[in-house]
Amino acid sequence: MTPNAALANGDKAPVLSVNGLNVDARLATGDVSVLCDISIDVAKGEILGVIGESGSGLTVLSRAIMNWLPSPLQATKGEVNFRGSNLLKVSAAEMRRLRGKEIAYIGSDSSTALNPTVPIGKHLVSKLRSVLPQYSEQQARQRIMELFDAVRIPSPRARFNEFPFQFSGGMMQRVMIVDALCTDPALLVADNITQPLDVTVAEQIVRLLRDLRDDFGTSVVFSSASLPVAAEISERLLVLQNGRVLEETTPQDIVSSPKTDYTKTLTARVPRIWSVDHTPPRSVVMKPILSVRNATKAYFTKDPKTYFGKQTVEAVRGVSFDVLEGENLGIVGESGCGKSTLSRLLSWVEQPDTGDIFFDGKSISKMSNRELKALRSQFQLILQDPYTCLPGHKTVGEIISEPLRIHRIGSVSKQRDRVREVMQEVGLPAGSDLNLPYQLSASQRQRVNIARAMVLNPRLLILDETLSSLDQVEQARLLDLFEDLQKRHKYTYIFISHDLALVRRACSRVLVMYLGRVVEMAENEKLFFDPQHPYSRALLSAMPTLEKNRFDAEECLLEGEPPSPVNIQPGCSFRTRCPHAMEICGKIDPTPETHGLSHVECHLVHEREMVQELDRQSMRRHDP
Amino acid sequence: MAFVLTFLLRRLSQGIVIVLLVGFVIFSLLRIVPGDPVRIMVGPMATEEQVEQIAEELGLRDPLPVQFGRYLSDLARGDLGNSFIKATSGASVAGGRDDGSAARAQVLDLIVAAIPFSALLAGLGVLLALIFSIPLGIAAGLYPNGWIGRATFAISSVFVSLPNIWLGILLILIISVQLGWLPAIGYKGVAYAVLPAIVLAVELSAVIVRALASSVAATMQENFVQAGIVRGLTMRHMITHHVLRNSAIPMLNLFGAQLGGLLLGSLFVVEYIFNYPGLGLLTVNAVFQRDFPVIQGVAILTTAVLVLINILVDLISAGIDRRLQY
Amino acid sequence: MSGLSSQFWHSVNGRMLRAAWARPQFKVALVFLIALIALAVLLPMLSSVSATTISVRDRFAPPVLWEGGTASHLFGTDQLGRDLLLRSLIGLRNALVIGVVSVFGMFVLGALIGIISGYRGGIVDTVLMRITDAQMSIPVIILAITILGVSRPTPFSVILVLILAGWPTYARVIRSVTLTESRKEFVRAAKIIGAGPLRIMFRHIAPNILPPVAFIAVLDVARMMIFEAIFGFIGIGIQPPVPTFGNILADGTKYLINAWWITVVPGLFLFAALISLNLIGSALESARNDVLGGRNQ
Repeated sequence: MTPNAALANGDKAPVLSVNGLNVDARLATGDVSVLCDISIDVAKGEILGVIGESGSGLTVLSRAIMNWLPSPLQATKGEVNFRGSNLLKVSAAEMRRLRGKEIAYIGSDSSTALNPTVPIGKHLVSKLRSVLPQYSEQQARQRIMELFDAVRIPSPRARFNEFPFQFSGGMMQRVMIVDALCTDPALLVADNITQPLDVTVAEQIVRLLRDLRDDFGTSVVFSSASLPVAAEISERLLVLQNGRVLEETTPQDIVSSPKTDYTKTLTARVPRIWSVDHTPPRSVVMKPILSVRNATKAYFTKDPKTYFGKQTVEAVRGVSFDVLEGENLGIVGESGCGKSTLSRLLSWVEQPDTGDIFFDGKSISKMSNRELKALRSQFQLILQDPYTCLPGHKTVGEIISEPLRIHRIGSVSKQRDRVREVMQEVGLPAGSDLNLPYQLSASQRQRVNIARAMVLNPRLLILDETLSSLDQVEQARLLDLFEDLQKRHKYTYIFISHDLALVRRACSRVLVMYLGRVVEMAENEKLFFDPQHPYSRALLSAMPTLEKNRFDAEECLLEGEPPSPVNIQPGCSFRTRCPHAMEICGKIDPTPETHGLSHVECHLVHEREMVQELDRQSMRRHDP
Repeated sequence: MAFVLTFLLRRLSQGIVIVLLVGFVIFSLLRIVPGDPVRIMVGPMATEEQVEQIAEELGLRDPLPVQFGRYLSDLARGDLGNSFIKATSGASVAGGRDDGSAARAQVLDLIVAAIPFSALLAGLGVLLALIFSIPLGIAAGLYPNGWIGRATFAISSVFVSLPNIWLGILLILIISVQLGWLPAIGYKGVAYAVLPAIVLAVELSAVIVRALASSVAATMQENFVQAGIVRGLTMRHMITHHVLRNSAIPMLNLFGAQLGGLLLGSLFVVEYIFNYPGLGLLTVNAVFQRDFPVIQGVAILTTAVLVLINILVDLISAGIDRRLQY
Repeated sequence: MSGLSSQFWHSVNGRMLRAAWARPQFKVALVFLIALIALAVLLPMLSSVSATTISVRDRFAPPVLWEGGTASHLFGTDQLGRDLLLRSLIGLRNALVIGVVSVFGMFVLGALIGIISGYRGGIVDTVLMRITDAQMSIPVIILAITILGVSRPTPFSVILVLILAGWPTYARVIRSVTLTESRKEFVRAAKIIGAGPLRIMFRHIAPNILPPVAFIAVLDVARMMIFEAIFGFIGIGIQPPVPTFGNILADGTKYLINAWWITVVPGLFLFAALISLNLIGSALESARNDVLGGRNQ
């Protein structure tokens, strides 16, 4: 149902109408304006998207609509009218009656929204019965079960009695949607609900929410920090900046005709995948610097269901690939795919259970401790969080020089010179070597990280989500820095990331991981324009983007989540979500069909290639 | 259910190992110390041969592991040995002429006789402590910055700083000697347990109140409490159904890890101060008399009880919070 | 804003100390405790009589404000005419030394075992933790009775017993801190630049174990002082004639009805020391929560 259709139904009065809302932070030092003169109307059955960067007031607006502002925030002016009554003025009792029943709220942090010691079903039943006392225990259970079905939670009867910590982020968000919609509210405030989720899961939630809106006719205020996500789901869009509504537009117009400069930069910053050319550096020498051969890694945890049983969590299951000297290799995958375990193996913080890793053709597992220590200067890892990976009580100079001290390289004065040199190269201000990490900005800290990794003159740098915590502008700056350093020092990079756009921009070859396996490995262009594995296609189709997506999510992405890495069944691990699953996929694990530097693990592809091969052979036979 | 069984199996076997280990350590400590217990038993008048003869009879000249093995096999039959000193009648027979062990009291009997007194005292102490601390702790946790929170902090600071021996003496001095409200020394009825129980309760309350207040306050800060209000539940519902439930877990752990030892320790001291005929008095007197079998029996028994309490506590916590089963 | 001092103030330890200092109870208790210690150190040195000087003429003198009290014995005398103020102060000194030394000992032992156990993991961890469990299951009093009760107790053996009884708490807490710390990124970063396990354990992890245990240590000094008094009271502490709270109180109980001050006075001194230690300890506890609760400085 489109908003126009809703209006045509005769429901002309908006469900929610915010007029001239001001919210201030009442600090001891004086009032600070957080929201200023906000006015919104939301019609029945309409989805209004609100977008803004962090600090723009998104969450404050969502909470103001719930009349749920934490101190020191206070609404100082304006009205929040819900069906004609001003929520900011209604009695506490009336607000209690409305909350949960007429107006529902879902936040981004669903993992902590429910008491972890109480089963899911009990939470929902007690909420439903406390809001609508006419429901009996039995009826409430019935209703919740039905809704579990509606939001496509698999085996709802079993999951009803499970605990919040047993639910994945996506499942938990579905539970919270049931919690919100079980009372059939008129208005749903969804505050950044896809933010912590992986792209395929987020895409599923967005799709689900749109379907439910159609069924329930609920009005939705959907706030999101991601412009493409908000644009995908909403009928109208509101751009928020510094607590003010900058412009009101539609998902179509925001791309084609943004009215303000800010919106222009906002849309420009959303990375493009297909409409822009990227030419990341390729390897010239075509010689592998690092080779992974059949690496596996499993962890053991206690199995709560059996007596003395252990569960095997198979994090990495037989991974082989080469990293070529001078190239940028990308490793992408969603959470739980094994990429962080792989990163620990690559940096040799942990050792593979079986298989081996070779550096310059030498087996790392066969190295003595001294050789290993010497090798440490050859490859370095740069981690994600610039806050936690620096020891807080050491000065920048001490941090950067520690590798030199550990490896006993040079005299104290030589070390100092080297530190200065590296600091200058990464763009840290001179004299900041005496600073402590807390005195630096996030991007400066990340530069300290980079400097520490560079100080030993390594040849290979592994970047494990290194740029994830930075905003788009900073990301671009650091990417330029990496490029620059590569030109000067002939570095080889491995980018480990969940961010497809980043990999598209920076990497010459890309590995796609799913459930501990490399399902596809291909050249950048090939992977993004002609992916072979169905999972690669699903991943690309779920990408939130402002371009026209080359892959249709409805077609490529099925319901369901990645299976648990515990006790993995034989057969292709993607078959449960694969639109092309065949009989063979449930029986036989597709083996990698390696073509040198690219490969695909899929029966479909193998079959196709087999047919092609047969064709070729028969053609050759017919040829004289 | 599988969890409960494996849990019990695993923890009980661990517990048995711990008790055996502790038993052996204490057993060895008591053997290697200077001073021959037989000399104390038979008195200064006995001849060297008499001493040797009794020592042989009691098996005190065998190698340590043999003695420990014998002790364990007796223990399995419920026999903790005989007191060196105490006669079945309860009178001290040290230095007496009779050298047969028949007249000496069974350690188990001595312990069994003392347990009801100690149990009464401990039960009363814990009860008083809970009555006092639970309401106060919850209130202070809900309003940590209000007057009740501050007052609770002050009270628990004073309580935790009161040495039990001093508090015991003060109570005897004021309540018993000056005011004559309650009897203090010995045991001739339940009234005699009240003053020592107050000392116990003060000591326990200091710890319980502080821990309960901070765990309630911490749970109130959890996201799900506020989220519950927005989901349409009342604050009252959130506190009674969720906050108190979750705060119970740290409390239980406290009972297991700390309060068992604390209670036992102060029980010993308090019984001694008030000359109250429980396990503690039995043990402290045994120390003065070098009555090793009694010390040993009490030590092993109390260790076993503490280990059991800990197992029970962990089991209950895992029942409340299923995450602990993983 | 540079150099060592700034570096210290911005380390977790420095920040915790600053946060504690911001609390009035911390300042007041600290000043009070220091005054008490100064008194306990200086007064016996300056006084003409010693704590063990017997004076039959002065026996059972009540404190000065009560009838029969004399200005030469402000807090009265005991059954042998010894000055109670001096005896209490010496007792306090002994108790403090025993408390501080034993807590230091258990901290060092616990830290060593905790860090190794937490960082190494595996079988080393299992064995060390089972030993810790076993040790924790023996009540302090039982341990004290078996060790001190059978041989003549000395200050050294009292401290030994307390260390033996107290280290498992530290081992456990420090183990869990080590576990969380060693999963942190900076440890991984240190491994990658080639730092060995010893360097990581004692250069990178050890500086961070103090905040979670500092308050426990301060509170434990108070607890150990109580234990020392208990041991003395039941006759398994440091033996007379060295004055300790325990043996003074034990003496006093015999004269409870006629000379209440023999028990009340030393108890007051002990209580004063304990409450200041406990206030300092709980201030450190809230300071720890402040520092470790929020990451943003």
